[in-house]
Amino acid sequence: MTTVDIEARVIQFIASKAENIDASAVTAASQFKDLGFDSMDTVQLLFDAEEEFGVTFDGDEVRNLRTVGDIIDYISNHPPTASDKA
Amino acid sequence: MRVVVTGMGVIAPIGTGVEQFWNAAVNGVCGIRKINSFDASNQRSQIAGEIIGFDPASLMSAKQIEQSDRFTQLALCAANFALKDSGDLDCYLPQRVAVSLGSGMGGFTTFESSATRKFQKKSLPPFTVPRIMANSAAAWIAAKYGFKGVNLTTSTACSSGSNAIGVGLELIRSGRADAVIAGGAEACVLPLTMSGFEALFALSTGFNNDPQHASRPFAKDRDGFVIGEGAGILVLEKEDHAKQRGAQIHAYLSGYGCTCDAVHIVAPEMDGQVAAMQAAMQDAHIQPESVDYINAHATSTPLGDIVETKAIKQCFGAHAYKLSISAIKSMIGHSIGASAAIGSIATIMALKTGTIHPTINLIEPDSECDLDYTPNRAVKKPIQIGLCNAFGFGGNNSTLVFTTN
Repeated sequence: MTTVDIEARVIQFIASKAENIDASAVTAASQFKDLGFDSMDTVQLLFDAEEEFGVTFDGDEVRNLRTVGDIIDYISNHPPTASDKA
Repeated sequence: MRVVVTGMGVIAPIGTGVEQFWNAAVNGVCGIRKINSFDASNQRSQIAGEIIGFDPASLMSAKQIEQSDRFTQLALCAANFALKDSGDLDCYLPQRVAVSLGSGMGGFTTFESSATRKFQKKSLPPFTVPRIMANSAAAWIAAKYGFKGVNLTTSTACSSGSNAIGVGLELIRSGRADAVIAGGAEACVLPLTMSGFEALFALSTGFNNDPQHASRPFAKDRDGFVIGEGAGILVLEKEDHAKQRGAQIHAYLSGYGCTCDAVHIVAPEMDGQVAAMQAAMQDAHIQPESVDYINAHATSTPLGDIVETKAIKQCFGAHAYKLSISAIKSMIGHSIGASAAIGSIATIMALKTGTIHPTINLIEPDSECDLDYTPNRAVKKPIQIGLCNAFGFGGNNSTLVFTTN
């Protein structure tokens, strides 16, 4: 998957999880809180993203993920392992 | 001061909503089938009373569904039916409406799936704990409807639903609540939970290819209980308040007794069961000879059904042979903490309709089970007083008394 593919898929995924937000409003710069995700919604979103993209967010780094772009960058830099894919 | 039942809601393997449930029950419909929700080919017991096709989406958003366990979703479904049935409770201050719910296992659907993920070294869903915790169903009911009063969860294994209703009665009597949403919910048709019951040799294993005949309380060849799931909820109110607001009165909740065998952690004991029935009748100010009907605990285990039969004989003497008994678990299996709440609804419907649902699969009774268990066919009979028995692991015995006036 290219970075462009990842960006498109992550944006589409997060747009599908956001409630009452127009999909076109979701960009790499969007902060989770601006898309209506409170702190508990955000941890659920990150868990769902792990399932969707076959990655595991590092326990310490996960606290620094605040924007859609942060997820795109993380996935781009941490390609899924064989066991993650399984 | 009397306490009345003004609302009932149920979701069970034989029906969703009281009308569908009761119609199936009086017609002896069996809800036991091969397990559908997971591959049970490695289980010794491969059958269950499951609720097929349950979809919580009509009551909850996708986000709420993600944040809640199946037992909570079943509880919300039954509560929704009960509250529609009772009519508007807006006449009560939110702080005066309580929730008293029973569950033996709590959110074990989540526990088992999250434990599996943990052992596979996968991340856990962030709502794992709030889904598992036993009080989540009561909390979700409160949050959905804005009931801000006492909010309690009773966990006494198979008698949880009965004790939760008993606690509801006491909350109104003591003045701590004006109305109580009371009942039980369970969703434990699950591989680990079932394996645990299998290890105790508690589940039926001889009817995997004949599930409709597996749950056979009081029958000679019964070989254990069949696991089930579901929820039953009652709306309880003070009689005078209910009448003031023009609510229908299904029945009076007239008595509650709870005892502990204090002998063994799983084996039932007659004296404790007798004491629970006696305590409930004393609480209701009724004599044993006035009891018309008992909705028995009757799980279809070899020992349990005999002990309950002996307890009824000890408690009622010669009258034990005159009263009617029936076992709802013959049709829906054993839904643990929900079972007595569903049994309570069956008891109330017997009072309301003058019809006793049958104990199905009772062709040849055990020689030690010689009372009138309403075998195989419903019976028409006017009933003024009905008991609902629930006996749980931990030696916990709970009996409720429902009356027509």
